[in-house]
Amino acid sequence: MDIAGALSVDHLKFLADGFKLTLYVAFISIVLSFIIGIVFGTLRYANIPFLSKVVAVIVETIRNLPLLLIIFFIFFALPEVGLKLSPTVAAIAALTVFESAMLAEIVRSGLNSIDKGQIEAARSSGLTYIQTLVSIVMPQALRRMVPPIVSQFISLLKDTSLCVIIALPEFMHNAQIIYAQNINFIIPIFVVVAFMYFIVNYCLSLIARRLESRQA
Amino acid sequence: MIRFDTVNKYFGDFHVLKNINLEINKGEVVVVIGPSGSGKSTMLRCINRLETITDGELTVNDLKVNDKKTDINQLRRNIGMVFQHFYLYPHKTVLENITTAPMKVLKQSKEEAEKVARYYLEKVGIPEKADSYPSQLSGGQQQRVAIARGLAMKPEIMLFDEPTSALDPEMIGEVLDVMKALAKEGMTMVVVTHEMGFAREVADRIIFMDHGQILEQGKPADFYANPKEERARLFLSRILNH
Repeated sequence: MDIAGALSVDHLKFLADGFKLTLYVAFISIVLSFIIGIVFGTLRYANIPFLSKVVAVIVETIRNLPLLLIIFFIFFALPEVGLKLSPTVAAIAALTVFESAMLAEIVRSGLNSIDKGQIEAARSSGLTYIQTLVSIVMPQALRRMVPPIVSQFISLLKDTSLCVIIALPEFMHNAQIIYAQNINFIIPIFVVVAFMYFIVNYCLSLIARRLESRQA
Repeated sequence: MIRFDTVNKYFGDFHVLKNINLEINKGEVVVVIGPSGSGKSTMLRCINRLETITDGELTVNDLKVNDKKTDINQLRRNIGMVFQHFYLYPHKTVLENITTAPMKVLKQSKEEAEKVARYYLEKVGIPEKADSYPSQLSGGQQQRVAIARGLAMKPEIMLFDEPTSALDPEMIGEVLDVMKALAKEGMTMVVVTHEMGFAREVADRIIFMDHGQILEQGKPADFYANPKEERARLFLSRILNH
């Protein structure tokens, strides 16, 4: 084991670059999938003729495919029909597509968990369906959704490592390049990589716990 | 003011309301009683279209409740409703619970809506709870907030769906007192309840329902002293002698 050699300044800089890209890709995907997830989940919940069915088919299809397949498809198959994406854009697109579907289901079940009496009380006071959804159902549902949504974000951040396969220069990818040079680097690099993933994800769960206890 | 004309309602094959004919006048306090499953709540919920009727005609202020052309939100702002389980909004304070509909539906300003809300909170006897959350209140207090929430829309009709059935016995009185005061002020009220004392004291008319039909109706004094229908007699003896 060569700790000093594995964790040389150059190597650490290289790892930091990868880590930055991991965070960047995860952050953009989180924001996009959160928005799309809320919209799709709400559309599916709202039981709009035709539209809700279409959304349901899309969500169910994506949710039941492996993320790896979606990454492959976007990076390798789309160029065949004329849409060539850089690894970064392809990674963001794949993660967003997949996580949006997962979040849509969380949003839908969160909305479903709100007592129908809340809706009746609001509607009987003259609020429209949209007003009821926005100011009565959604705020209550969002609070309940915090824990599952955050664990989905944690999955997303870890899943960025799958983008190794399209040579996205993210954290895991750069780590591989370093330890591939020398077998003695493997353990120190793994420890650093594990530690970094853990720190960020643990912070996320701490935030979730804070949000959860604040509403109680 | 409220008129049922041979109204029928089915839940699938189940015939919940059978040929309901009923007219309720302005300022009248009508109490609906009957065994559970007799269709009382369903009938009440038809009035503001929380349930739709299968056939017949139901009008409120000459507006057909189930007509596609009727703006249901317009109709509903004129009909307050109080539920067995209160259904206060748990994420909003008492004041916000009361001001939500006046601000969103009647487009009142925040100041105006809060003034109205505080007036009605005073009226139901808990002005000091304005900034509390529903979970911090007792059941009786929650139900009084729910009544204030209904009144803040200044409706012409108030519907009460078993408003005291989920309350601990010592809290029933405080809610009934608020309802009695409301009745005295001339509010048109339709109340589904098992509170016979309240019915006797406040109702202008008692309606007895069983198996989806209105079996008997009359002034409380007559009804309690001398129910005509066998089933009404049986129901009263069960509920009064226990």
